[in-house]
Amino acid sequence: MNQENPNPSDPKLSALLREARATPPLPPRFREGVWRRIEESEIPATARIGWIDALVGWALRPRFALATAIVLVCAGSLFGAVQGHQAAREDAQSRYVASVAPNTLR
Amino acid sequence: MKRSLLILVFALLAASALFASSYFMGRRVCEMCTVRSTDNLDWLRQEFHLSDADMAHMRELHNGYMPKCAEMCTKIAAKKQELDEALAGSTNISESAKQKLTELAILRSQCQAQMLEHFIQVSQAMPPEQGRRYLSEMERLTIGAHEETEQMMSDHAGHMHGEH
Repeated sequence: MNQENPNPSDPKLSALLREARATPPLPPRFREGVWRRIEESEIPATARIGWIDALVGWALRPRFALATAIVLVCAGSLFGAVQGHQAAREDAQSRYVASVAPNTLR
Repeated sequence: MKRSLLILVFALLAASALFASSYFMGRRVCEMCTVRSTDNLDWLRQEFHLSDADMAHMRELHNGYMPKCAEMCTKIAAKKQELDEALAGSTNISESAKQKLTELAILRSQCQAQMLEHFIQVSQAMPPEQGRRYLSEMERLTIGAHEETEQMMSDHAGHMHGEH
């Protein structure tokens, strides 16, 4: 029986060990699964960037920008006109009331 | 991403500025278009959609009422002056001051009665529905204002008594 200790740096021994190590076969569709997991881990970051970019891209489209500007101008003018009309009406009412009801009675 | 966010913020600011400027422009134009005449009866025409004939009648009633109103105002101002003189320099209310206060209150109530009488005349000269609306609005704006003050004061007094 050989009693001497094996030398781990012995190239013969290393070669033998390498041959003896069994390499288990990869599970089916392993490579595909790895890529899928990589893609899934990247989705949240790209999605965040994506929706703002998409919104900006959408908002800056000339047709949409023009339509928005028109809607804002119309809504603002209409709202202002209603408020202006109301203010003018209140002013006219105050003038009439002041003319018929002295301050001492109000 | 940062660039997109900046563009988005800028777009929102531009939209707000556009809305605000349109609002102020619309308001200004509307105020300018609404004739700011010195005619105190304009409100009647606008609010109650009165015809020229109705307005002529309103003007007649108004012109008839104004001298009476001015006369009452003069009497009230004179009585207030008397009251101020009676109160001047005194630390308590004299009998004379009490008398002036009573006379002032009577004058004010006469003035109110005369005013209400005018409102009733004006309302009767309008189409029925408009007349009712006018009378109710004028009562709210004149007598109603007193009631609100009295209500507020009585509520306040109630709270104060409750605290005792």
